[in-house]
Amino acid sequence: MRISKLSLAVLALVISASAAQAQTNNASITATATVQTPINVIGAQALNFGNVFPGVNKTVAATDLTNAGRFDVTGQASTPVTLSFTLPATLSSGANTMPIDTYTGVHADNVAQTGGTAFNPVTGASPTLSATGGLFVWVGARVVPATNQAQGVYTANVTMTVVY
Amino acid sequence: MKLLSWSVIGMALLGAALPPVVGAQGKPLTVTGVRGVTFGAVFPGVPRVISRTDPANSGQFDIKGPNRSDVLLTFVLPLTMTGPAGAQLPLAFGSSDAGYSQAQSIGSQVGFDPKQPFTAALPNNGRASVFLGATANPTANQRAGAYTATITMTVTVLP
Repeated sequence: MRISKLSLAVLALVISASAAQAQTNNASITATATVQTPINVIGAQALNFGNVFPGVNKTVAATDLTNAGRFDVTGQASTPVTLSFTLPATLSSGANTMPIDTYTGVHADNVAQTGGTAFNPVTGASPTLSATGGLFVWVGARVVPATNQAQGVYTANVTMTVVY
Repeated sequence: MKLLSWSVIGMALLGAALPPVVGAQGKPLTVTGVRGVTFGAVFPGVPRVISRTDPANSGQFDIKGPNRSDVLLTFVLPLTMTGPAGAQLPLAFGSSDAGYSQAQSIGSQVGFDPKQPFTAALPNNGRASVFLGATANPTANQRAGAYTATITMTVTVLP
């Protein structure tokens, strides 16, 4: 009988130990993402007014493939992007300035501007990159030299920002 | 002596019959990864948020355990996803990015912080689900390609 009591006690300990066993389990899932091609923008061609005469306004159209400013964009194929611009109000030559206004823009999926879409650079645009991930953007404008505009070379920066 | 024999046999049976994890009601605890957190296409410099209520892209775990028992939920949350050539894409979990649902319904969740242990009660049928959202924060020059990470949830039945 003494042995039986001992065995019951052992059994109780076993059961107790089993009941106190940690009841834990786990599982895993994955997090996945596919990062698209980063956007790359280059200033491919300057907006060039050439010779300008005092008192004579001069306009370069965005459709002027020779003189319009051009940006080349590459990124993820067939993906919408947003274009925004920082547009100067004047060109500078040392301390002298010359007004620039009436900005115009065209974007197209080819460098020949075939099938291009006109837009206003002041408000920007939301085109879609081509099937190969390309986009070409042209910018034109008008300069307004004063009748007493000082001679010189006038420049300013036009900046285009592209985001997905 | 006869009692002793029964005791030994009883102990042997007990040892043989114990499943790996058994609850107080004798119901095993199981945790299943049902669905991963899917960010899909992500653009450099553009954060992508997946809500825990997103039925297609949120992560989901299912729990089966002892009826009406309390369980403790803890996560192993990665800080980044790993992509091509070991590139890292930062990953963040907000204070309400996890949701617990006794009804196993994405439309009926109690939000909680997956970065902190969370105690929940299993319902009468012992089944529940946990949904998980997250935010991917690709850098502006994030390398293109596929990124993955592993999220683990551990469930412990509380005594």
